[in-house]
Amino acid sequence: MNWRPLTKTIRLFILLAIVFLSVPSRASEPQTIVFLMWKPNQPEVRERLIERFHETHPNIRVQVQIGPHSSTEFHAIVTQRLKNKDTSVDVFLMDVIWPAEFASAGWAVDLTSRFSKKAQKAFLPATIAANTYHGRIYGVPYFLDAGLFYYRKDLLDKYSFDPPKSWHDMLAQGKAILKGEADPTLHIFSAQFKQYEGLVCDMLEFIWSHGGRIIDQRTGKVLVAEPPSIQAVTFVRDQIIGKAAPQGVINYEEPESLEVFLQGKAVFHRNWPYAWTVANDPERSKVAGRVGVGTLPAFPGHRPAAALGGWQFGISRWSEHVEEAWEFVEFMTSFDSQEILAIQAGLAPTRVAVYKDPVVQDKMPHLKDFLPAFKSARPRPVSPLYPMISQELQRFFSRAIAESKTDVQNLAQATSARIRRVVQMEAAVRR
Amino acid sequence: MIPKDRKLYLALLAPTLLVLLVFIVAPITQSIISSFHRIIIGLPQLNSPFIGLENYQELFHDSVARHSFWVTLLFVSTTTFFELLLGLLLALLIHHRFPGRGSLRACVLIPWAIPTVVSAQMWRFLFNDAYGMINYAIFGHGVAHYIPWLAKPGTALFAIILADIWKTSSFAALLILAGLQIIPEELYQAAKVDGASMWRRFWHVTWPLIRPAILVALLFRTIDAFRVFDLAFVMTQGGPADATNVLQLYGYKKMFVEGWMGYGSTISVSVFVIVLVLAVVYVRMVGRRLLEASL
Repeated sequence: MNWRPLTKTIRLFILLAIVFLSVPSRASEPQTIVFLMWKPNQPEVRERLIERFHETHPNIRVQVQIGPHSSTEFHAIVTQRLKNKDTSVDVFLMDVIWPAEFASAGWAVDLTSRFSKKAQKAFLPATIAANTYHGRIYGVPYFLDAGLFYYRKDLLDKYSFDPPKSWHDMLAQGKAILKGEADPTLHIFSAQFKQYEGLVCDMLEFIWSHGGRIIDQRTGKVLVAEPPSIQAVTFVRDQIIGKAAPQGVINYEEPESLEVFLQGKAVFHRNWPYAWTVANDPERSKVAGRVGVGTLPAFPGHRPAAALGGWQFGISRWSEHVEEAWEFVEFMTSFDSQEILAIQAGLAPTRVAVYKDPVVQDKMPHLKDFLPAFKSARPRPVSPLYPMISQELQRFFSRAIAESKTDVQNLAQATSARIRRVVQMEAAVRR
Repeated sequence: MIPKDRKLYLALLAPTLLVLLVFIVAPITQSIISSFHRIIIGLPQLNSPFIGLENYQELFHDSVARHSFWVTLLFVSTTTFFELLLGLLLALLIHHRFPGRGSLRACVLIPWAIPTVVSAQMWRFLFNDAYGMINYAIFGHGVAHYIPWLAKPGTALFAIILADIWKTSSFAALLILAGLQIIPEELYQAAKVDGASMWRRFWHVTWPLIRPAILVALLFRTIDAFRVFDLAFVMTQGGPADATNVLQLYGYKKMFVEGWMGYGSTISVSVFVIVLVLAVVYVRMVGRRLLEASL
């Protein structure tokens, strides 16, 4: 940690140099843009990147403003300032479920002319879909998160199984392993099934990997009550809850469900990329070094799917420096920046090429295992009223799986009607 | 002389009135106004139009709200009943003179003094299926067939009710104890001289005289229980299957999670009206009883 005071001195020196140099030469005064974000885990990486940006773009200064770390609270801060037509914010971060809202409200600049279709091809497709609203793009993907499938490599090797490709394989392998291990506290699977946002992500992964969908993004048709969705939900209720996974998962969020896996009490586990580091930390995990990771299973004849998370850059409609803001966004989402962010801050890149970079592969070998899962990622329904849709889905899923005798068909139809109302509310405003 | 006095009264009352106006009247008025508008955070281009009673009509046809209402009512009735019962027993116990009474009285108040969010977090751990103390106490170590309390609709509501009873029984006890302490000792002595048994002394001396205090406790507990939010928020987030989705939590989710400010306000205004009606009914009842008691 000897470099810390050193960088501080350097920073101070640069600051002084800027002050001294900028006083006499007023002619080339740089343009300041304001970037609103939350506090990252490694702020020094972002600072280094911004210093680099200042070196390559001497005509622009970036001033960072820090908001709260919680997504909901950060949302409140950003929307407040955009609602008030605050010209002092130029660039901001958006959670993956916000672009539709920001686009529909007219808060985010339409980037379609700047962010060309060809440039979009370099990014993982799901991250582009999440930023697209009615054919126009409003954000540039910064880094992503997606549902991953963790498994006990040692146990699978012991019983000579390959990582399961289908949910049924997972159950069959799990049953064989449980029988062989004869440990009554061992479970096949653990994941998040509490009535909250995580439940939507987990259940969508089952529905998508069975060919189901919530909303047809093009026609606006609600498909929750269609057979593929209903069968997937019924599968979770009958085969997962209280069978492959302990009944307790009905009240589990990420930490509790991960704990079951860390204690060696689950063969398979669904979680976000952060769980990889935790699962391999011998201080916190009993299974460190014995963990494998990959794509979630699917139902036979269907492709696997992971729920997409992550953050994007957006440019404020009230910004007076859209050109400068765009240059900054381009820089932050460039190949070089994403490489630095991946290696130094552990953020999963949104550009496919970064995964193939030898330096990244050398320093972050697990990213290579994440890539197929990231490629299978899909955004949750893209709508400015997504929070309402999510509440209805949470209610439906929780009711459907919490008890063994629920009428899933009936519940699905009621939910479908309620979501249709939300979709109509949104359509009425667009017209 | 009188006008000058009045000026002084007004000057002395002004700060209180101002605080009431700013922190109580203004927010309630704002909520009532919002409940007549369509305000959706995600659709600012709606420009929050006035829609009259549409939100209230919506509420009447909202099956989730109806379910929340019944859940809340069940919560209110069970917690209030058990809190008053336990509160009465506790009060009778700590009213007796015995060594260590002072410290016991202090201990009884501890659950009530802990912030609800903290005790809710504690109960969440206690009820955890895999490492919770409650399963450990019942089933011992290393058993696979524990009860996932918070994962079943019935037991999840039970867990929240239990946590509330644990927390607020002592508050009821405190109010009832105050009632016990104003009963003059001579009445008991007179009853003893007349040969009344302990049971008769309770029913004919204690009970009629603490009834007003019990009614006050009933009033406070019902109104407070109707506004339950934090226990459900921390322990279950309203789940599973909406089993603990109490009205206030439902309103909170509509407002701050879904961004449906107008409809969320309608729910909180409705809770406000229910509590107001209850308060008026109780206060009239208690007022009459208090009068009878003092006659």
